[in-house]
Formats: sequence, C-alpha cells, structure tokens
Amino acid sequence: MSSSSTSSHPPSPHSAGVVDVVMPQMGVSVSEGTIVEWRKQPGDWVEYEEPIVDISTDKIDTEVPAPAAGRVSEVVVAVGTTVEVGTVLARIATDAKPGEAHASEHAGNGNGTVSEPPTSEAAAGTGATPAPATASPAPEPAAATPGDAPGPGHRDQRRRYSPVVSRMAAEHDLDLSKIEGTGRGGRVRKQDVLAYLEDGGASAVEERPEPPMHIESPYRPEPAPPRAPTPPPAAAPAPPQAAPAPAQPQAAPSPPPAPAAEPAPVASGHGEPLSRMRKSIGEHMKRSLEIAAHCTTIVECDMSAVERRRKQIGTTALPIVARCVVETLREFPALNAWLEGDTFTQHDQVHLGIAVSLGGDGGLIVPVVHDAQDLSDEGLGRRIRELARRARDRQLSPDDVRGGTFTITNPGQFGAIAATPIINQPQVAILDLEAVVKRAVVITDDEGNDSIAIRPMTMLCMSWDHRALDGAYAAQFLTALRRRIEAV
Amino acid sequence: MATMTYLQAISDGMRQEMRSDDRVLVMGEDIGVFGGAFKVTDGFIDEFGSDRVMDTPLAESGIIGTAIGAAVVGMRPIAEMQFADFITCGFDQLVSVAGKMYYRQGLPVNITVRLPSGGGFSGGPFHSTNPEAWFMHAPGLKVVAPSTAEDAKGLLIGAVRDHNPVLFLEHKHLYRRVKGDVPDGLYTTPFEARVAREGTDLTVIAYGAMVHTALEATEDLDGASVEVLDLRSLVPLDEEAILASVRKTSKVLIVDEANQTCAAGAQVAAVIADRAFEDLDGPVRRVATPDVPIPFSPPLEQAVLPSVDRVKEAARELLEY
Repeated sequence: MSSSSTSSHPPSPHSAGVVDVVMPQMGVSVSEGTIVEWRKQPGDWVEYEEPIVDISTDKIDTEVPAPAAGRVSEVVVAVGTTVEVGTVLARIATDAKPGEAHASEHAGNGNGTVSEPPTSEAAAGTGATPAPATASPAPEPAAATPGDAPGPGHRDQRRRYSPVVSRMAAEHDLDLSKIEGTGRGGRVRKQDVLAYLEDGGASAVEERPEPPMHIESPYRPEPAPPRAPTPPPAAAPAPPQAAPAPAQPQAAPSPPPAPAAEPAPVASGHGEPLSRMRKSIGEHMKRSLEIAAHCTTIVECDMSAVERRRKQIGTTALPIVARCVVETLREFPALNAWLEGDTFTQHDQVHLGIAVSLGGDGGLIVPVVHDAQDLSDEGLGRRIRELARRARDRQLSPDDVRGGTFTITNPGQFGAIAATPIINQPQVAILDLEAVVKRAVVITDDEGNDSIAIRPMTMLCMSWDHRALDGAYAAQFLTALRRRIEAV
Repeated sequence: MATMTYLQAISDGMRQEMRSDDRVLVMGEDIGVFGGAFKVTDGFIDEFGSDRVMDTPLAESGIIGTAIGAAVVGMRPIAEMQFADFITCGFDQLVSVAGKMYYRQGLPVNITVRLPSGGGFSGGPFHSTNPEAWFMHAPGLKVVAPSTAEDAKGLLIGAVRDHNPVLFLEHKHLYRRVKGDVPDGLYTTPFEARVAREGTDLTVIAYGAMVHTALEATEDLDGASVEVLDLRSLVPLDEEAILASVRKTSKVLIVDEANQTCAAGAQVAAVIADRAFEDLDGPVRRVATPDVPIPFSPPLEQAVLPSVDRVKEAARELLEY
C-alpha cells in the first residue's frame, strides 16, 4: 500500500548496465496486467521509448515503451501471464551497441546469464521499498517536534508525569519519585508504574519485611512506624511490634518476657492538655460504652480468595471485604441500623463508615462511604482511598463523616489478631478486621477427607449492641459474611 | 463466501440490493453504457435497464438534486460521483438540501452518494481528494469509509438502507489492490469501528486506505504490541470504541490521508483529549497530508501522503515516549 509503484523510468538512455522493463501503472486503479505480445526478443536492439511489449489490463490494452535504449538481454515474463504492476518484464543491456551482434556482449552481460547484482529496481517494483526516485525527495514534513530536541531541558522531563501516571499514582498512593522511569529522558510512563505495582510496589513504599499477610489499611501511617535501626532481615515475618503471637488465644495471659530491667522509681515526663480531637474521641467512646450493651462475637475466616482477588484488581483487601460486608448487611438489615433512645431504625442504604487513623497521635476519624451498596469493590477501593487521603489532609467536609449506618475498623496492619471495638453511636455494630496470619487449619474436601493446610486466616470481630439484637443474629451475620469472603 | 476485490464487493453489494429492492437505482456520469469510470456498474444497465441505471449529464448538483427528489418520493437512489473531488459542484444540494430536509420538513432523504476518493496513483490535484471532513462538519449527513472488501459491501448495503443521506467513501487505491473473503447474499456492516489488530502498547487510529498503511507500518515494530482501530464510520463516530482502545494503550497515533487541518483525525484527537485525558501517557500524535493540493508528480505525491515510513517513525517515537 505504501507507495504506488511508479516505474522508475526513464533513466538516462545512455547509462551503462542493465535496465528493467516493468509492468507499468496504467491508470488510476489498475494493479495487474497481462502480456499480450513481445515485440522484441532477447538479442534485439530497442530504442528509447520504442514499444517493446503489448499488455492488457482490465481497463485498457496498450504497449510498453522501452525505458532505455539497448539490447534486450532477457525476457522474464511469458505471453499470457498476468503479473502485478511493478513486476520486471524484461531487461535491457544498455551498454551494448546497435551494430554489434548480441552474442558479443562482454562478460557479465551475456545473453541470458544471470548477471545482475541484486536487482534493487525489481525490489522497488514490488512496492517493498520505494523506488530510488521517490525515496527521499522533498523535505519530508518533519516528524520531530521542536520540544523534543535533547538538551538540558530534558532532565526536567523526568519528573513531569502524564495524566495516566498521575492518576495511577493517586489511586495507589504511590510516591512517583521512587519509580524508575524508562521513557524518553527517564520519564516515568504507564508501564513503569504497572511494573512497579506488579512487583508489589504499592506496599513497597517502605522496604517491607514480607508483608502481604496483613490487611492493609487504607492509610499509610504518616511517619513510618518506628523501625529498628538495623533493617530487618527480609525474611522476618514482621517488624517487632507486629509480630503476631501465633496460636495464642486472645485472652490468654501471656506473661511477656519482660526484660527484668529495674523500673525507674518515678516516671518522668511532663503533662500536656489533651488535644481537642482526643477529648472528643474519648467522650464519644465513653458515652457509647455507657449507653450500649456491648458484646463481641468472633468468627475465623479464610482469606485465600481475598488475597487472590486483591492481587487481581490491585487494591488492598479492605474494599473487597467491605463489599462483602455491604452485601451481607442487606441480608441482615438489623445490623445496618441506628438505635436512638427507644427508636430503632433500619436503613435501606448502606452508608459505610471506615475508621481512619490520622497517624501519630493525630487520632481517629470515620469518614463515610455513602450508598456503598451501589459500588463495586474497585469503586469502593477508590472511594476509600480518596476519603482516607482527604482525612489525612484534614480536608473532610462535615458531610463526609455524617450518616454512617455501619462501621469497619481495621488496624490489622499493626499485627493484633483480635480486638473488641467500641460501637460508633448511634449505630448498633462495628466490625473489626485484624491481622491476616498464616495458620495451619484443618480443611475437609468434598469426600470428607480431612487434611492440614496452611491458609491466611483472620478474625472477624464484631461488637454489637445487645439492646438491638441478640447473639445468634450476630453470629449468623458473621458466618454469612465469612462464606461470602471465602467465595470472593 | 467468495474472494473479491474491494471494487467487486461494492459492485456485488449494489447489484444484490437492486435485485432485492426495486426502489434502489443508480445514477451518475457514464455509469450506464460505459459501466462507470472504474467499471463498478459494468453490466448493470443490461440487467436493470436504463430506468434504474441512469446516465446523467456532467452536473453533480443535478445528480444529487435528482436523487434527493427521488428519495423524497420513496426511491433509494445511489448517486455516483465519478471522482470524489467533483462533489464540490453538488455541495449545496447535499449540505443545504439533503442534510437539512429531515430537520426542516420531516422528510427522510434516503440517498447514498458514492465517492471514489483518495490518492496514491498520480491522479493529481483534481482526482485525489479526501473530502470527508467537509461533510462530517455538516449536520444531517452520515459518512462511512470502508477499508476491506467485506466492509465495503456491508457498509454500502447499510448506506442504501439508512434513511439518512450517506456519503460512501470508496478509496480508489484499494479498488483492485485489496481482496478478501466477502459473505454471499445481503448483509449490513454496522456504522461502528472495528479493531483491525489487537494490541496493548499503542493505538493507531485510521480509516480507508490508511488502515492498510497503519497495519503495514506497525506489523513489526521491535516487538511492540500495536492496536489498529479501523473507524469505518466517521459520522456517527464510534467514540466508545476509540476511548476503549485509548484507555487500554494510553498512547495514540491518528493517521489521515486527508489534509491535516480539521480532518477526521482532528475530531478524533479532540474526543480523546476531552474524554480520555486521564488515560493518556503521551501526546496525541497525528500523521496526515500537509495542507497542500495533491501533486501530480509521483515523488512529490509520495512525499505528501502519509507513508509507511512516516507512520512507523511516529509510532516509534510514541512507543519510546
């Protein structure tokens, strides 16, 4: 398609060597032609533009003039054959002389000998490469844009991000300066971000000691949790404060191997008034404990499916679990409710509160994903990230924290395996997601055979208000939730 | 299923639609006894008679005006412009009358205007035009441009059956160069884009002959996976297909054989800038013919038309970006 194969005639009739006679382009749309009759035979002399062969196309019949004067050295295409435009039909030796007998040609131009160097013109004829005449004629419209010139400006390109890269960085909460760019001038491009994410980059913001067993919080603690001065060995299960005590029942009084250091006789320190936020959190928590009949139910849950799914869609586990919670709440509406005094209100919509730690001693806030029932897990993930970002930037509006009907809290990344959260009034329940840890569990196959397997397990701990419902309902909810999570 | 050239497929589509629907007639310059400048209607007059295969005077405004009148009384005329360039003489009938008839009077104008268009064969400035953008700009007209034999037949039949005036751009350079399997019988091709080749690293958007240029240029680009989107229809423009591809690859090259300014590709670029900004990982690049008449001289013509090499170079640049 590239180049209409314009035959490259006429080269100077006096030029030495061999000139090809090609099937010409006869008219607008003709692509092939048929040889009707050869007017010249090998050995015949032909003048420049003298008819050498008659051809027929589906539009016209015509004769082909010789592209150069010389002696016909070879007829390539036989009468009756149909060939494409540009195909070599015959060759003319142009260094022969009119009077000479054709047999007298010099070595290398012998009649019928295959003498030509790789016939560049023949190749041109097939359209594979443009004929020399058309190769580089007029100044091609310059393809390079002025701004592309390499130069000092190039360096700066490196930290200018395209829209898609910026968006992905926001979605995955990435620090782009940590990503190596392979684009022009070291530019970070989409595939660099994708590769980074594939390598687990999202959670690799800090060098991480084998992390993925933890449900990741929607937020990243602003200053990284205090780290040991020496980098933890890569295989260490978790930083010290996160080391889950496997197999230890939650309530078991595990006397910590406390260093027998002498306690300081008097604790030193200086007093400071509580921040407004701490005070407010304290008041709410205390009030909730006073008015609600708190009770906590715990169900253990296999997170294998969630781990798989979250890798697929590139989120944390939270939105996937949140999606399951929303769906299960639709089956158990009494948990998606408010209890205010003697008034119990069940809600049709699920406005899902997500507890977000503000890092350090900044406290805790619960932004609300409104109408969570309308969102996919990807949509939930996006909304949660956005709310968490605004929470950290102190940009939440009052509407962002109002109207929650159920709350999820997930301090799981810090390694605790169970907790008894306090209900966010006037809601009637709060679900706590804790660390996901590998455990040996007994699984039963379809035929009833038991075996021991290593599975990522977590505890679903839900505090609920005994004024509003009873334990059987809470347990049924958690069991239904577990089924959903395990079948994600 | 038969193997046909692009030209034979158009001819076959018209012939079959005329056999099945006696409201369909063809008209144009030398299309009857002579069979058309490109022989698309060769033999039609013998089969359908001069009432349905009408030779007209050399007056495009008359041809289109007559077609509009016939359509208003219930016929389905197919008007042939001998070369797409000549449609300028019928511009008023097409843009002011056909395009606005339904809006003004509620009368559908079921006409198809066939436009042998495009260059690449030294046709010179009067026989090489790609006029589609003029009509994309005019409300009330549809514009389609097939790149394969199968689509040529399907889009032609779809155009004949469409109740709106449809401009059918058939690329002269493809007439006998493109061959392919064409389904037997009557079928229509939707006025939607088609993924000519799937890919993940770069999208090249084109239509008509440039689809083949794009495919050839990106067939082997150092192993890059290049998607080629064949628009097939310019009005309506399949924005969803464009956006879906751009969202996948994040880089776009748009190839127009038409003159660059305000060409179809400019509209495609605008849609992408407007609706896929956040998915872009590089500039939206275009390769088109500069704003000059198409030269007669073969080397000059090859220099202005988008070549495989130019497309290749632009694609490489984007891939490396």
